[in-house]
Amino acid sequence: MRALLVLPLVLALAACDGAPTASFADAAIVLPDDPNELPAGPYRAVVEANCTACHSPSTMLQQPRVSREKWESIVGKMRKLYKAPVDDEAARQVVDYMVAIQSDVSRETPQ
Amino acid sequence: MSSTLTRRALIAGAGTAALAAPALAKLGGMIDLGLPGGPSLRPTTPDFPGKRDMIVQRIRPPLLEAPMEAFAKGTITPNDRMFVRWNWPFPTEVKAAEHRVAVGGAVKKAVSLTLDDIAAAGETVEIVAVNQCAGNGRGLSEPRVTGTQWGNGAMGCAKWTGVRLKDVLAKAGIAEGATRVRFAGLDVPLTDGAPQFIKSIPMDVAMRGDVLVAWAMNDEPLPILHGFPLRIVVPGWFSTYWVKMLSTIEVLTGEDESHYVAETYRWPTVPVTPESKDFPTVPITAMPPRSFITSHADGETVAKGKPLTLEGMAFGGDAALAKVELVGEGWSAECELGPDEHGPFAFRRWSVTLPEVSGDLAAIGTKATNINGLTQPDALVWNPSGYARNVIERITLVAR
Repeated sequence: MRALLVLPLVLALAACDGAPTASFADAAIVLPDDPNELPAGPYRAVVEANCTACHSPSTMLQQPRVSREKWESIVGKMRKLYKAPVDDEAARQVVDYMVAIQSDVSRETPQ
Repeated sequence: MSSTLTRRALIAGAGTAALAAPALAKLGGMIDLGLPGGPSLRPTTPDFPGKRDMIVQRIRPPLLEAPMEAFAKGTITPNDRMFVRWNWPFPTEVKAAEHRVAVGGAVKKAVSLTLDDIAAAGETVEIVAVNQCAGNGRGLSEPRVTGTQWGNGAMGCAKWTGVRLKDVLAKAGIAEGATRVRFAGLDVPLTDGAPQFIKSIPMDVAMRGDVLVAWAMNDEPLPILHGFPLRIVVPGWFSTYWVKMLSTIEVLTGEDESHYVAETYRWPTVPVTPESKDFPTVPITAMPPRSFITSHADGETVAKGKPLTLEGMAFGGDAALAKVELVGEGWSAECELGPDEHGPFAFRRWSVTLPEVSGDLAAIGTKATNINGLTQPDALVWNPSGYARNVIERITLVAR
């Protein structure tokens, strides 16, 4: 852990009543993996292949139930705006999957 | 039972006993956010570094929400309970000596600053300010809208330490015709051509004496999850402008046409419904006042015939808090404000004592008003992205 401080800064801070010393050490963390898995549904493998690079399953599973049209619009936005490399057929299948798992009323949230 | 209570009990699949926990029902490691229509349960795992008992909204990139119990006492949110929100992946390791902040665009001389250059750019300033996601409370919108399904815990109040942005800008010198200052951080999209998360503020805001390039949060170096080594702090404005892992400051001479300013983080200037199309929008900027009852949760039982003290937290948004009222159906009572500990942009406590509970307290809530007269509305001002929720948050207490 290195404290990187230049002398003029130390002097400046001494004049600043009570302010913490600015010291910049390197920082690193390890982020946890997503323990969730996508629930079974039509085209689950397509969703896994096309969506999970950016979205951990928790993202998709916590959305409110919305219409097929809304899912089409969301998948369209991922392709057009966020440049997700998803072809037409896969896009339709992703929508089918989201509509199917959202219509499963027994599902509350990923366990 | 109110409809809210019934719905929550059904969603939780549990009896009212489970609703007695402060502010939120915790069920077998899951927290029920009470989101209308669900899914409403959220895990408090996996653990994230430097975090404690957070609601895990998303694992990658992380979205972590503070349970309401984090706001039950005091006016400072500890670092391990501050919400976390990232739009794109970010580095999990940052070498302090190698980090640079490029200051360019409409400047007299573009410069590349080290962390020490930044820290020495001007007087060290501390300010306590609420950091709140523009979408805080989105999951409670009715009708529901897509996006991060936050309860109300995507907020926190911390002490920020840094230098004034204007002092950092002075290292480069602002050129003629400057209109806005735009920020970028080390977080970048995974896909080529996707928009980077860059945000800008108007020049008059950038030159304010309380807008900071900050390196400390509650007297500790910014944790990586909160934007180590530097983040922008704009007191009174939603945290979408508080760009983390700051690496670029760019002075603009025109409008900002970038995606996250021109196309999203905007809300309607006119009343809209889910069917509305092609309505005018403006960027979501200053925060409105909000307040919360933190001493009691929805559905809790209180003693009939006895006095009742309610407590909570409030903030004025982009101006100091003026008052908090407890409101019920056809009545209101002025709450007593706690001391002004940290200035206009911070949380403040309130409390009120009702002399006697004569019956159920149906749909009670608190209404905060700031010194500009801005107050909390009785009904949700619905917008398609669920931004800037500040409707009066109501609970029902059962007298027994």
